[in-house]
Amino acid sequence: MSWNNQGGGGPWSPKGQGPWGQGPSGGLPPNDLEDAIRRLQQGLRGLIPGGGGGFIGAGALAAIVLVLVLGWLALGTFYTVQPNELGLNLVFGRYTGRTQPGLNTNWPWPVGSVRLVPVAEQQITEVGYRGDARGADTLAESQMLTGDQNIVTVHFRVAWQIDPAHPEDYEFNVLNPRDTVKAVAESIMREVVGLKTIDGILTSDRKSIEPDVQARMQKVLDDYRVGVLVKQVQLQSVDAPAQVISAYRDVTAAQQDQQRAVNDAETYANRVGPAAAAAAARILAEAKAYREQTILEAKGQTARYDQIYAQYKKAPGVTRERMYLETMERVLGGMSKTILDSGGGAAAAVPYIALDPLQSKSTGAVK
Amino acid sequence: MRNPLTALALLVLAIIVVLYVAQPLFTVDPTEQALVLRFGQPVRDVIDAPGLYAKWPFVDTVVFIDKRILALDNERQEVLVADNQRLEVDAFVRYHIVDPLKFYQSVFNIQGANAQLGGMLNSALRRTLSEASISDIVRTKRDALMADIRDQVKSGALRFGLDVVDVRIKRADLPEENSEAVFRRMQTERQQRAASYRAQGSQQSQEIKAEADRKVTVTIATAQQQSEQIRGEGDGERNRIFAEAYGADPEFFAFYRSMQAYDTGFKGDTRAVLSPKSDFFRYFSTPTPTPAPADAPATK
Repeated sequence: MSWNNQGGGGPWSPKGQGPWGQGPSGGLPPNDLEDAIRRLQQGLRGLIPGGGGGFIGAGALAAIVLVLVLGWLALGTFYTVQPNELGLNLVFGRYTGRTQPGLNTNWPWPVGSVRLVPVAEQQITEVGYRGDARGADTLAESQMLTGDQNIVTVHFRVAWQIDPAHPEDYEFNVLNPRDTVKAVAESIMREVVGLKTIDGILTSDRKSIEPDVQARMQKVLDDYRVGVLVKQVQLQSVDAPAQVISAYRDVTAAQQDQQRAVNDAETYANRVGPAAAAAAARILAEAKAYREQTILEAKGQTARYDQIYAQYKKAPGVTRERMYLETMERVLGGMSKTILDSGGGAAAAVPYIALDPLQSKSTGAVK
Repeated sequence: MRNPLTALALLVLAIIVVLYVAQPLFTVDPTEQALVLRFGQPVRDVIDAPGLYAKWPFVDTVVFIDKRILALDNERQEVLVADNQRLEVDAFVRYHIVDPLKFYQSVFNIQGANAQLGGMLNSALRRTLSEASISDIVRTKRDALMADIRDQVKSGALRFGLDVVDVRIKRADLPEENSEAVFRRMQTERQQRAASYRAQGSQQSQEIKAEADRKVTVTIATAQQQSEQIRGEGDGERNRIFAEAYGADPEFFAFYRSMQAYDTGFKGDTRAVLSPKSDFFRYFSTPTPTPAPADAPATK
């Protein structure tokens, strides 16, 4: 039932009535009113006695009426619409059209009136808290039940504006649009929060709540034809209630503890792993060194043996004798010796002078 | 000159008096509808289009009735729901007056309408919610329950000339005592969860460390296994080399090796008791050798 006048044709005649919109069963049409005034004037003229005085009287009367009418029109016709507003013109209570920012005209009071609607202004509705006193948490508004029957504290605000396409809905359709926006916001937020679990609300579902509430609010408000555009729903804070918030924070701390324990263990693993690899490499290197050393030593010894053997082959008897004597020389030269004739008894032992006279202790006779 | 002016003044005065005292003309705003009553009886149909209208002065009276959507915000009240649980519920009704005459005759004004609607809303709330569980109300059937309540209130409100646009549950919360219980439950739930996270952390930490230690042990053991193998290869090769070299003349090798062993075996403070009859002393007492049996020198 919107009196939309943008369409042009017959702006004042939504139901095909006369331009002044008399009701179906006979409001007094202004045309008739004008007729009545004209008749009254003629009647007056008839009352006044004829003659020059009558003419002067009629002229003065016309002048006075003219001045009054002009003054009435001059004082009341023009009005200003601010850039953030739209004007709604009413003539005898009937909505006749909207006017844009700037200088506009309408019939003066008491025929016409103007409603100025701030369509471009952003309106804010706060729920669960009051922006001017942050401490004042309004518990009744902010605490709500989640789907898994926990309680969560939600502070949010709704930014909305009067729908520039339907300012007349905002102005005429609903008794208290501002309260309606707030009541719907509260109801919808609880409905949406009731669909989710507290863990979801505190974490991943948080993002989806805002657009969800916005869409549902818009739908309900459209059903009411409030003429409001919901621009944004903003969650200011979503928390566990004050009574349990420390327990919730401890869960976060515990998650970090868990992560830290894992990280520490991984640091340990990263430290001992390479150390073990290094030790293993060392063991292998040592083993390889031993292998090479052993082989080389063996080769060295056999090479030496091969040389000696080659010489030995040429003169076996002499070489063998020489090697024996040289060895015994070296061996016996380095030790103290007692030479006993196996024929005599122990008591008759005759000490012999040591073979190497340079040896200082060579004279020791033993037993 | 005086007569017309006086007449005019009188005329204007008369018009003002008629317009402001008797009010034969009245306007109806877009937000209103109007009833015209003559001695309490309606004399014409309800005026629901805004505009300028006329009535008989003094005889007729006009009653303006709001045409907008009106609000009834119910007081918060405790409702018994299924399983003897209690909920504090407040709801609101949005309605408008569609039959002003019925409205005027039955409840007279908006306060009267709100009182009637409030009663209907309360009983509809109690009746409908008494069979629903908290979970139904909060989560699963909220829409259906609200629609149910709306239909009940809507049908009841018709006889007062009211059309109910919507009924919505605004808040449905637990009473304070129950809230405390919920808080305690939430608290213990969280404590369990925190403890579980910490336990998991310690478990994972142990697992990671144990696995790391296992890898260390295996790495070292593998290395040692390879090490033994490599050393064995070295020893084997050594044996092969010796066998190859010494195998040609085992007798000479025995002699040669014995000489080496004597050389290195008697280092240090060794005392030898020698027999002059040993082969070494062949020439000790005589330049003419007598081949003697090679008595090995006895060592002590």
